[in-house]
Amino acid sequence: MRDTRRSTPVLAVCLLLAASSLFAQDLASFEKRTTLKKLDNGLTLIVMERPEAPVFSYATVVNVGSAREVPGITGLAHMFEHMAFKGSENVGSTNYPEEKVSLQKVEEAYAAYDAERRKETGADQAKVAQLEQAWKDSIAAANKYVVPEEFSRIVDRAGAVGVNAFTQSDETVYFYSLPSNRVELWAYLESERFLHPVFREFYKERDVVFEERRMRTESSPFGRVIEQFLAAAFTAHPYGFPTVGWPSDLKSFSATDAVNFFHKYYVPSNMVIAVVGDVKTAEVMPLLEKYFGRLPKAPAPEALRTVEPEQKAERTVVLHEKSQPIYLEGYHRPSATDPDDPVYDVIEMLLSSGRTSRLYRSLVRDKKIAAQAQGFNGFPGSKYPSLFTFLAITTPGHTPADVTAAIAQELDRLKNEDVSPEELASVKTRVKAGLLRRLDNNAGLALELAQTQTLYGDWRELFRSVDKIDKVTAADVRRVANATFNVNNRTIAYVDNSPAKTASATTPKGESK
Amino acid sequence: MNSLKRHAVAAATLLLALASPAFAQVTKYTEIKTPSLRSFTVVQPKRIVLGNGMIIFLQEDHELPLIRGSAAIRGGERDVPAAKTGLANIYGQAWRTGGTEAKTGDQLDELLESRAARIETAGGEDSSRVSFDVLKGDFDTVFPIFVELLQKPAFRQDKIDLAKTQARTGISRRNDDPGQILGREVRKLGYGSDSPYARVPEYSTIAAITREDLLAFHDRFVAPNNIILGVAGDFDSAAMEKKLRAAFESWKRGNGAPATVPPSGTPAKAGVYYVAKDDVTQSNIAVTHPATLLRKDPDYYAATVLNEILSGGFSGRLMSHIRSEAGLAYGVGGGIGAGWDRPMLFTVQMSTKSPTTIQSIELVKKEINDLQTTPFTAEELQHAKDTLLNAFVFTMDSKAKVLNQRVLLEFYGYPADYLQKYQHGIEAVTAADVERVAKKYVHPDQLAVLVVGNEKDFDKPLATVGKVTPIDITIPDSSPKPATAAATTTATTTSADASALVKKVQDFVGGKAAVDKLQATKIVSSRTAKTPGGDIDVEMEQTVQYPESVYQVVKTPMGEMTTVMTPSVAFANTPMGIQDLPASARADGRFDLLMVLKSMDKYTFAATGSEKVGDVNATIVTVSRDGASAKWYVDPATGRILRTVRNTPRGEVVADFGDWKAFSGLNLPGSFTLMMNGEKQGSATIKTVEVNPTVDPKIFQKPASK
Repeated sequence: MRDTRRSTPVLAVCLLLAASSLFAQDLASFEKRTTLKKLDNGLTLIVMERPEAPVFSYATVVNVGSAREVPGITGLAHMFEHMAFKGSENVGSTNYPEEKVSLQKVEEAYAAYDAERRKETGADQAKVAQLEQAWKDSIAAANKYVVPEEFSRIVDRAGAVGVNAFTQSDETVYFYSLPSNRVELWAYLESERFLHPVFREFYKERDVVFEERRMRTESSPFGRVIEQFLAAAFTAHPYGFPTVGWPSDLKSFSATDAVNFFHKYYVPSNMVIAVVGDVKTAEVMPLLEKYFGRLPKAPAPEALRTVEPEQKAERTVVLHEKSQPIYLEGYHRPSATDPDDPVYDVIEMLLSSGRTSRLYRSLVRDKKIAAQAQGFNGFPGSKYPSLFTFLAITTPGHTPADVTAAIAQELDRLKNEDVSPEELASVKTRVKAGLLRRLDNNAGLALELAQTQTLYGDWRELFRSVDKIDKVTAADVRRVANATFNVNNRTIAYVDNSPAKTASATTPKGESK
Repeated sequence: MNSLKRHAVAAATLLLALASPAFAQVTKYTEIKTPSLRSFTVVQPKRIVLGNGMIIFLQEDHELPLIRGSAAIRGGERDVPAAKTGLANIYGQAWRTGGTEAKTGDQLDELLESRAARIETAGGEDSSRVSFDVLKGDFDTVFPIFVELLQKPAFRQDKIDLAKTQARTGISRRNDDPGQILGREVRKLGYGSDSPYARVPEYSTIAAITREDLLAFHDRFVAPNNIILGVAGDFDSAAMEKKLRAAFESWKRGNGAPATVPPSGTPAKAGVYYVAKDDVTQSNIAVTHPATLLRKDPDYYAATVLNEILSGGFSGRLMSHIRSEAGLAYGVGGGIGAGWDRPMLFTVQMSTKSPTTIQSIELVKKEINDLQTTPFTAEELQHAKDTLLNAFVFTMDSKAKVLNQRVLLEFYGYPADYLQKYQHGIEAVTAADVERVAKKYVHPDQLAVLVVGNEKDFDKPLATVGKVTPIDITIPDSSPKPATAAATTTATTTSADASALVKKVQDFVGGKAAVDKLQATKIVSSRTAKTPGGDIDVEMEQTVQYPESVYQVVKTPMGEMTTVMTPSVAFANTPMGIQDLPASARADGRFDLLMVLKSMDKYTFAATGSEKVGDVNATIVTVSRDGASAKWYVDPATGRILRTVRNTPRGEVVADFGDWKAFSGLNLPGSFTLMMNGEKQGSATIKTVEVNPTVDPKIFQKPASK
């Protein structure tokens, strides 16, 4: 045991060197096969050749997420993501010119209905019912033109896999993979999505999104805790909003709101598209330019003004409910573009990566107070100052208080003791290998290239991040831990299922119909 | 404005079209030509059969400097007795964490993670797996560990206990998420709750699993003639073959493959089954009945096309009708299940808001009926077939995928050209075939309908769908506290080295004879305690009647505070009244040094590392009982306890002992300091120790409330 330990530093350094040289070669090979082109309209295209098999993947990253929402339209970024599967002027309609007119009528009818029902005083319920019926009738009229799921049918039939999209606080991402003889079909469909979007079936899709909210947030203990945690941790910055949206907004915003949001944020200069796979850059770039060059140039959205103020008091949120304890603890930290970002990455690895990680060893292996314990960066986003967040799942008989104490002990260690050279070297080796292991997959590469380009303005940062982490020292870790992990900068949220409190808390319940 | 913009765009595209005549302007997707897919050779792995029956596949892949391998071993959860349900999972965890004969799991963690290498084990329904993933330069260091784990695993008890704690945590939480409840209960309905494919671990079945069970499981299944090993990565096949032969060729044959296990349960009758859950706004719904199809049946192709029509992507009937057109669900899907070697279920699942529960059930049932009554159109059929066939290239778009498929086919005894046959099989499916399988495998009159939800918010009573049978999902309490499970394993959990050290501790305190003759002790100490109003001095008198009754009086300037903890009661009597103490306080009281040394058989001890305390490199002994634990930091040379650490609900309490001296024939710390969560809480000095004083039994009784 002791012998092993003593030999570790020397070994680890050798390993690190060996991994580095291999690593540098591989990264150089990937970099060489990657080309970036910025179109005149401001759109950024990235193509990486990876001709392993006749397939390709793409990711479109739009630099807008729920953090660009304001009260009243929370959930709209995600709602638009759903609309992007509803087709366009040329996909999904039997007669677009007529459909367009009928969709305008839906908007007028909805505006009238929504204005009446939301009157703060004196809403006339009979009139509300009448306007609601008129709105529903207008929807029925518009639906006559709909070719259901035509967009999905086209891509599915072409052999697409992994057709999906997601919305986060920072960004909205669209992606799938196709056989490589379908590049032009894809370029056409993807550009049509953002060139000629049509907000058809908007209100039905709003119901679908509300079901997603019920599933992920309302009916899931994790969802409930996370929503409360973020709402408590952020007082000013929109990171405190749930990405899926608050219930009132989800029941109220309109297709017109979505159109406005789209025109503001879905501009070419706010979008990055990456294609990875069996493509030849020289052939595919002009093709992409042909289709995506059609997107009209528009001014880039103004940068977000609000910055979360310094937290000056600890916040604790307790959910009294029947489910087993779930524990979250967060500390504000700077954005991903901060020079200390790599230090936070190292701290995350030290605390959470693998069975040698400190939280696993302390909370799971030794104290056995948690079945799972992790600390991670970038929650709920990383573009703006966000949270370093701890998550723990207690074992039977152990309480959130046990977790608070055990995490505090590990944070004290980080603040007061230097990380050993072996531990630091091990982390750095794993960061490198981790990147290497992510390079054998078109879909993952497309996503990471587009995300990195969006966040840092340079996709090469994906590979450079490793060099930055290599430079992190033990002193950096202590300095950043001391600057971050302080009680007044802490928000704790947990489920308390002790019987007495839970009984009184859960009696009134139920969906308002 | 709008029209202007559009003109500008049109002009720009026109120019572009002139500049590059190859690109014609496109307005409708059907105008886009699809070139044929470039020809592409799928590299098949090299298959090697060793003399002892072990099958190896090697797949060179030089894209990245990595080597990855996985051994699939037949035999899993379905092969264990019902009374030990959960064994394969515990096995899969403790196999890796429990280490090899030569190295503990913790040592493996250090060794592997410092090289960014991984070796993992897992136990599944019909197989277990050991896999490795390593930078190619580390292969020769890491591969021997992989071999050792296969051939000489240790299954150390502390890691079995850890895996059991994880399993108990899972059980305690299994009713929190409605989707999880649905998934579990629908299998019980479809297969029958006694089926090996539906049963779930309980506290009692986890408690029943012993180290001997895991070793027996290992011996039964892990033998070369029951293993298929696939290795892919940056190596030369000839050199790799040599290494693998050297490692495995002399390994002795064992039992061959276990027989396939049929579902063998009693499926639920058609009807409605209800799980009440009042903290949800949404109902989780599933309908099911047993299916009889296997992947090797000729009907599998037609069933796959049927599943695609019903539930493929966003454009299948279910998503199209229930999500897109009705807006009732975020997710809905299902189809005819078909296993590699055993039948599965026909199921459809969805979730919808409580007030549309009944409406949704009716819609799902209608879609299922329609499979037999609404003819499949030529367009539906062609769409489904094109979708499946055009995406077929994704089954072989990486060398690793091709390898994994070959391993899978070999595992279940399917021919190597199964995938090519599959492709032809799908091509040949006709509408008549799909109609036939819809009638043969789908039975609308046999559906069990399961709803997890909050009935008071439903659109109509659930009984409108059919006769309702409630399902009670209360977690069986046969062994609810971690206590019982831990107690059953007590006798075997203590490792030899920890046990020797604890004996040393006992010797240091005065020896077994002196400790054995203790019936009671009364210790008076003076303490300095930290309070919000500043430090105060108190006197504490603690009487312990062994094995574990504690009576403690603290005299403070504010009055006396008495605490009593016995196996039957735990309360505090303060100037504010009598309060019951939580179980955690009682558990905490059981880690008194003399109490532990008196009843060593009730605790387990594990040496869990070492750490410096002052100048001494102390060995850490984790003392566990009833799911709670304390850590002793022991000087391995003398057996002197330097420090104890306990986790209490208020935080971590660290006691540092000093000034050991003789008290009434015992060697005890004359003083100690207490830290809580890193802050000093107080200190104590022992004034007197009385051995075997007369103890009035009444002091342990709870007085009537004041």
